[in-house]
Amino acid sequence: MTAAALASEGGASAGGFPLLTSCVVLPAVGALATALVSRRRPESSRLVATIFAVATAALTVAVLVAFESGEAGFQMVERATWIRDLDVSWHLGVDGISVFLVVLTGVLFPLAMLGAPPHHDDKPFHAWLLLLEAGCIGVFLALDLFLFFVMFEIVLVPMYFLISGWGYANRRYAAMKFFLYTAFGSAFMLVGLVATAVLHARGTGGDLTFDLVTIASDQGAIAPVTARWLFLAFAIAFAIKVPLFPVHTWLPDAHTEAPTAGSVILAGVMLKLGTYGFLRFGLYLFPEASAYFAPLLVTLGVIGILYGAVVATMQKDLKRLVAYSSVAHLGFIALGTFSLTTQGLQGSVLQMVNHGISTGALFLLVGMIYERRHTRQIAELRGLQKAAPVMAGVFTVVMLSSIGLPGLNGFVGEFLILLGSFLTRRWWAVVGAIGVILASLYLLWAYQRVFHGEPDEANAGFAEMRVREGLVMAPLVALIVFLGVYPKPVLDRIQPSVEALVAHVEDHSDYTEPPVATEGQRARSAAPAEEGGD
Amino acid sequence: MLLNQFLILSAVLFAIGVYGVIARRNGVAVLMSIELILNAVNINLVAFSAMTGTLAGQVFALFVIAIAAAEVGVGLAIVLVIYRNRRSIDLDEVDLMRG
Amino acid sequence: MVGLLAQAGEAARLDTPEVEWTALAPVLVMIGGAVLLMVVAALAPRGSRVGWHAIVTIAVAVAAIATVVPQWNRVGDDGPFSVVAGSVGVDRFSLFLTVVICASVVIATLFTDGYLRREGLEGAEPYVLMLLSASGGLIMASANDLIVMFLGLEILSIAVYVLAGMHLRRVRSGEAAIKYFVLGAFSSAFFLYGVAMVYGATGSTNLVEVADFLARNTLADSGLLVAGFALLLVGFGFKVAAVPFHSWTPDVYQGSPTPIVSYMASGVKAAGFAGLLRVFVVTFGDYRLDWQPIVYWVAVLSLLVGAVLAVVQTDVKRAMAYSSINHAGFILMGVQAASDRGVSAALFYLAAYTFMVAGTFGVLTVVGRRGDGHHQLSDYAGLGRREPLLALALVVFLLAQAGTPLTSGFLAKFYVIDAAIESRSFWLALVAMLSAVISAFLYLRIILAMYGSSDDAETADGAAATAGPRLRVPAAAGIALVIAVVATIGIGLVPDPLSETARDATPELVASGD
Repeated sequence: MTAAALASEGGASAGGFPLLTSCVVLPAVGALATALVSRRRPESSRLVATIFAVATAALTVAVLVAFESGEAGFQMVERATWIRDLDVSWHLGVDGISVFLVVLTGVLFPLAMLGAPPHHDDKPFHAWLLLLEAGCIGVFLALDLFLFFVMFEIVLVPMYFLISGWGYANRRYAAMKFFLYTAFGSAFMLVGLVATAVLHARGTGGDLTFDLVTIASDQGAIAPVTARWLFLAFAIAFAIKVPLFPVHTWLPDAHTEAPTAGSVILAGVMLKLGTYGFLRFGLYLFPEASAYFAPLLVTLGVIGILYGAVVATMQKDLKRLVAYSSVAHLGFIALGTFSLTTQGLQGSVLQMVNHGISTGALFLLVGMIYERRHTRQIAELRGLQKAAPVMAGVFTVVMLSSIGLPGLNGFVGEFLILLGSFLTRRWWAVVGAIGVILASLYLLWAYQRVFHGEPDEANAGFAEMRVREGLVMAPLVALIVFLGVYPKPVLDRIQPSVEALVAHVEDHSDYTEPPVATEGQRARSAAPAEEGGD
Repeated sequence: MLLNQFLILSAVLFAIGVYGVIARRNGVAVLMSIELILNAVNINLVAFSAMTGTLAGQVFALFVIAIAAAEVGVGLAIVLVIYRNRRSIDLDEVDLMRG
Repeated sequence: MVGLLAQAGEAARLDTPEVEWTALAPVLVMIGGAVLLMVVAALAPRGSRVGWHAIVTIAVAVAAIATVVPQWNRVGDDGPFSVVAGSVGVDRFSLFLTVVICASVVIATLFTDGYLRREGLEGAEPYVLMLLSASGGLIMASANDLIVMFLGLEILSIAVYVLAGMHLRRVRSGEAAIKYFVLGAFSSAFFLYGVAMVYGATGSTNLVEVADFLARNTLADSGLLVAGFALLLVGFGFKVAAVPFHSWTPDVYQGSPTPIVSYMASGVKAAGFAGLLRVFVVTFGDYRLDWQPIVYWVAVLSLLVGAVLAVVQTDVKRAMAYSSINHAGFILMGVQAASDRGVSAALFYLAAYTFMVAGTFGVLTVVGRRGDGHHQLSDYAGLGRREPLLALALVVFLLAQAGTPLTSGFLAKFYVIDAAIESRSFWLALVAMLSAVISAFLYLRIILAMYGSSDDAETADGAAATAGPRLRVPAAAGIALVIAVVATIGIGLVPDPLSETARDATPELVASGD
């Protein structure tokens, strides 16, 4: 029943207006427009880029408004043939899992653009950024394996140029490492992806197709053992992108050396390509293999939580510390995803958004500090609270959200993840909980060293937050508080899709969700009614 | 059988030619070695032609002779260019490019 | 002709075969154009500033492409056919490659014009040789007889040996020519030996008859045949620059005049693969279990050696030579699949690769400056600032070679991977993609070098960066670059026309009608 529920292409399609396509195309057009602005007027290129980014943000919000809560399937589906010969189509759709990631992408880009202007060459910088946005939104919306891969790969190019062109001292090394790591993973994914399509066609006896919904619905077409290999091929790509523990080493370099806007997007959006990939192309495409490999991935997630926390504690560089905290947070998301419970998945999806907001905000703040002091060494910063109390206040809120303080957004996500994973993987959840404590340790300690105490000579002249910076931070802080206090509207929209996904995994594997996880959730009973609609 | 002897002769000539191309340093000697290989092929072709009773092999041999002449013509011209530039036709000395 | 003589032997009478001249039109146009150009150039006064040699060459190549159109339709209506007593076959496969080879001539010619002026080498000879060489390629693509295939191969090769040594004053050009000649002649001899073996084993050189013979008889002692396969493979392996027959490639690519390299990497490679596909996949298709493993390992080695050695080079031209070996490995995957899908994937790859590699070497031609010697990685420093458009074009070509989505290179790789997986070569597909990642390192290094000077720009405020000598991009080269960029991105966005054409272009062997 659930494959049908997932595949149902119901929902509003916004009166025929191709809303989702515009979300992808508009930033790409913006990139082109920015690139065509006269070279003599760099200011106007920035203006053009910002207008396009804000317009895209408005479109993504429109998607959220048009999104019907309570629906599990893909909504606003748009489909047009792209490559006939391979049955590749421009197939876009949004469900409860992707909708908030799209909005997050839409919102974070203009903020990153405004909050962290480049030091030189405005024009190409903004053009690359907009191209990156188009790719990121494309990844979240793609419902075709080929299209997904295209978008997943294409984001590498702008990000590579952003890091290598506008990053800090060690940027070339970091950019190269980032590109090669991800391309290495993609190599596996491409082979896995083609094999999936070919074997699916062979298994069903039909024509070759790359359509995600079609392949995911025909679960019997690929032998389970083969599917496990294919899952691994995908998993390597996603694990590198997330990044999970043994393949995370590109992340600290890339995050640290990237320009501030690049770090914000890298942490806020691009890491989610991996975790989102696990949901869409792991659990949905290979439910049996996902259940089979869940213990492994959960373990890697937990190792990531502890490792990220411990290494973050030892960092001397503030930006690197935030980067390592990402490893820990993404470990949580992996833990929630592969707990395979409704709560865990819900928490994961929510935490993807939360991490995007809070880590994005942290990187922006670190960027502001660097701009003033031209150093990110914790040892050289002291007593900033005295010099810039407002900034210290904002930093506190963001940091506490990252730690997971109740009342702020991070808490809801982490709580749900721990709850969900406790149901199926008790000890992993317990170890993961230790990670929460460690997170407060390294972040509070860093905060204490940077903001407390008496500012020395170099830090005394530290400028207070400017109005523009405040305006950039305000929406992020507002979201942090809002999602912490009242996450219900978000969770309501995530829940149906997540439940359908868990049921999809149950249907196609030996796994059964523990009864506690399903108790009190009535939404599932409505699902059989949809079956006829497909 | 007779055919085997031709094939062995041809194989020997071929091997000598290959050795010559690889081991000789003089540009002209290398050209001659290549000629040797082509003639080894000709022996083969004619032998096979006689064995199978078709004419194709003999015709082919004629083509090969013609093409070998053209090839050597071009080859000598290139050796000449090298000689003009370097006053030597030692092929081992011609290695500006490595890596 | 040969079949005819064989008949003559049996029937003791000599009748000349009906030659359908229209079917040979592309080859005739190319050879006729070359001869005409040579004669007119010899008679015309020297020193004309207009590049009419190049214009005539392009006109000839375009005319050859134009003659393909009616034949394409004819094959579509009546099916493939063979002419000249069954020694030349006309199918969509040969027509497709005819277009590819002629297109590579057009692009290379556009680059050659500016190059010859810059180096003070004006003359009609390079164009004549290029046209002749391309006609050899066309003959290879349509050969239905091993003798004709060999003739085509030699016409193709001998002209290119001379082209490689065209720059008489550059010692490296002569070095490239002699190396190319020795190893090329050597490989031709291997090829020939292989032909003799196959002839001995099957009693014919006509591909139709060979295929028939192999289909009818199971050779108990196929040693002769397998030796023939191996030797033929060596011959083709040299031409397409596959490992372990690649040793000439880096030296020749580095030393030869750059626009000629653009033709070598596209046109000559396409012709080599034309022969390889027709002889192995089609004619020896029934014996694929004998040769597939060899091609498999040749492909693996080409992929890895090409990628790894490309990365350690500091000379960009040389590095691109290794990268072309890597690409040969990719195309070999299509050969290895030995299926219709594999053939069309290889054709798609060849067509897409023609534009991106020709474009790449075109940019290298311009950057090489007078003397064609500026090919170190350091010569590319700051190119992104001095020549933003030229640098952008190179970025497009390099990203396409790396297989970035939305370029032709990605789809080309996608199709060969698809073909490999269809034939269950999962590991080969994986090795190929990993080699693509390794060679991406090279392309990124070049891109980094071009855009790497932003540090200096910050301090000197851009003044120092623009101070270097300006590169002159000749108009013809500019046109060629635009064509190549448009084709590379266009195929990447809308691959259907090309992929469906490649799908239609399956090689078929048709016996002579008489």
